[in-house]
Amino acid sequence: MAPMISFRKVNKWFGSNHVLKDVTFDVVEGEVVVICGPSGSGKSTLIRCINRLEPIGNGELVVDGISVNDRKADINRLRQEIGIVFQSFNLFPHMTALENITLAPLKVRKMSKEEAEATGLRLLARVGMPEKANAYPAHLSGGQQQRVAIARALAMHPKIMLFDEPTSALDPEMIKEVLDAMKDLVKDGMTMVVVTHEMGFAREVSHRITFMDNGIIVEENTPAEFFANPRSERTKQFLSKILKH
Amino acid sequence: MKRLLTFFSWVILLSLALGLVAGCGPTPVPPTPTKAAPTKAPEGTLLRKIQDRGKLILGVKYDVPLFGYLNPQTNQLEGFDVALGKEIAKKIFGDETKVEFKQAVSKDRIPFLQQDVVDLIISTMTITEAREKEIDFSEVYYLAGQSLLVPKGSPIKSIADLEGRTVASVKGSTSEKNIREKAPKANVILFDSYSECVTAMVGKRAEAVTTDDIILAGFASQNKDLTLVGGLFTYEPYGIGIKKGNKELVDLVNGVIRDLKASGRWKEIYTKEIGDKAGIPAPVPPIGDWREIMKSAPK
Amino acid sequence: MPPDYVGKVVIDNLPLLLEGFWITIWLSILSSLISLVLGTVIGVARIVPFRPLRSFGTVYVEFFRNTPLLIQLFFFYHGLPRAGITFSAFESALWSLAIYHAAYVAEAVRAGIQSIHRGQMEAARSLGFSYLATMRYIILPQAFAIVIPPLGNLFIALLKNTSLASTIAVAELLYQGEVLDSRTFRTFEIFTAVGILYLCLTLPLGGFVNLVERRLARAGRGA
Repeated sequence: MAPMISFRKVNKWFGSNHVLKDVTFDVVEGEVVVICGPSGSGKSTLIRCINRLEPIGNGELVVDGISVNDRKADINRLRQEIGIVFQSFNLFPHMTALENITLAPLKVRKMSKEEAEATGLRLLARVGMPEKANAYPAHLSGGQQQRVAIARALAMHPKIMLFDEPTSALDPEMIKEVLDAMKDLVKDGMTMVVVTHEMGFAREVSHRITFMDNGIIVEENTPAEFFANPRSERTKQFLSKILKH
Repeated sequence: MKRLLTFFSWVILLSLALGLVAGCGPTPVPPTPTKAAPTKAPEGTLLRKIQDRGKLILGVKYDVPLFGYLNPQTNQLEGFDVALGKEIAKKIFGDETKVEFKQAVSKDRIPFLQQDVVDLIISTMTITEAREKEIDFSEVYYLAGQSLLVPKGSPIKSIADLEGRTVASVKGSTSEKNIREKAPKANVILFDSYSECVTAMVGKRAEAVTTDDIILAGFASQNKDLTLVGGLFTYEPYGIGIKKGNKELVDLVNGVIRDLKASGRWKEIYTKEIGDKAGIPAPVPPIGDWREIMKSAPK
Repeated sequence: MPPDYVGKVVIDNLPLLLEGFWITIWLSILSSLISLVLGTVIGVARIVPFRPLRSFGTVYVEFFRNTPLLIQLFFFYHGLPRAGITFSAFESALWSLAIYHAAYVAEAVRAGIQSIHRGQMEAARSLGFSYLATMRYIILPQAFAIVIPPLGNLFIALLKNTSLASTIAVAELLYQGEVLDSRTFRTFEIFTAVGILYLCLTLPLGGFVNLVERRLARAGRGA
């Protein structure tokens, strides 16, 4: 079976800064991959390349059978199949929670209003906040906002969900509610790529952990092996730092 | 600086006088300089102030060709009003160069007199009852009249043809008031200056421009596609404006005007400043009090 | 003859002044609407990731913002007929006011758009919205909320600038005031009345802008 996401010798530069170096990386359908690594290692850039929020320099990147950086690729079409959740939520502040969720189904998918709202309300219930449909983002906590953001992404029925440090901007007591919503997706068999420092989540639900440093994929392994027998020195150093607290 | 200028004027005057003497050859008695500076007016009068100052300050227009116009090519003021001002200076000082001109647009004319900015206003100013309450006027020095400026070949031949047509004039002018009375069925549109009126007509925004014929003649002399039609349908007696309470100055100015008319000099000035440029033969100068003249105006 | 009380000249000639007043209102509303649409398009053009459009936007804004409105007015009214294009006086005023103020609208809109966090664009594009759809549904609604106060002030300025149309014989409020003045010489009363009529328009508009500004400040507090 062809992988859902396939990086082949992908390089990327920000100016003279070489942020992705010959990255080769696959994700198959239904797989949950956690990417971790120190800040500046290129993990966020890697995930943002998948829906072309960042264009790649060279190499080949194929997602759902489409070459992402091909000029002929219908990027808007591809993006409908890829949900993304950001560190800073990025909800639309001038719309209610429900409007945030239904906007793209209505305007992009041309779904009927009834159907979009029914889906929206079901998704809000799924992320545990059915009573907040008419609340504006300014009146929601960070954890609630992030759960609405997850519901917003799910409303497009994506084939892939990307998470770019979804809990890094949250107070500790809110992290769990967001992780629980993510775990719920894993149960459904969603293909997920998650950039996170939440090693508990990685150990518990991911199928594979990818460790990046300085633009290079240093190590890929199953969670059990990754924590028990890290192969490289860099991984060991990273784990000793991150697991200490 | 002023003193220095005065000094130089005297030096020049003196050299001129000497030159005159030399030119006259053996004539033993030089012409008395007192002819150039007649007896001084009584203390405290405006005329005395002018005499003591050594120059006459006149308010004229700078933008009315043929009357008061700053010629951009020569950077010299020219026109009938300007020439008349020089004649008055010649009368006071025996020297037509002893005059300073200031630009006086229509709305500045009366304030300039009342605030002593200028001694006289010679600025295409129509004598009216209302204005006579504010300032004094000299005798009529020129009888203008309202007329129509149209593009050559226009169907408009006279004021009667204006019915239902658009005619341009200047806001707040006598011309505006007159045209509303004489052509009540014309559509009057108003601008801030006559040149804007003419520009609007050339741009086909108006079919005629109306104001004093001589102002229109100025535009006609600049733009050969335009012509005057319909003759005069009002009389506009032009007078020199003088601040109230200066009888000796009024008398002096009236003396100059009468002399010019009587001596034929008036026609000379007209021909030089207006007639030759706009192709109009010199008329008979207006004689008499302005009210008398107005009685013979077209109804 | 009845005594001539102060302001009688205004009461007697109120129909004429009101005629001008309505033209001022019409001219203001129409040119505001056109400048809003045109200015928004130009403002967006100034930030799109397409260089020729950006350059066009910049040239437009710099050109029209840095030439006097009066000249643009004269150009439309006196200049264009020489090129064979004749707009009526009202249309000349309408278009020059709209085009001139559109440059200011464009600057306000551009500043508003640029104050919207980049994440909004990313979130919308990630959902599959095109660039223009993102502008329409996400960026512009937020940007307009931000630029309502500056736009309000701009439209107050536009309203006052309609008085320049009196120079090209548009029979608006100031023009009628001038006509009346030249007929009656009651300058003080007439221009006081004209000023008050302008205030009748600008003060409520200013109050409305303040109200919206306060509403927005309150709505934005929790964000």
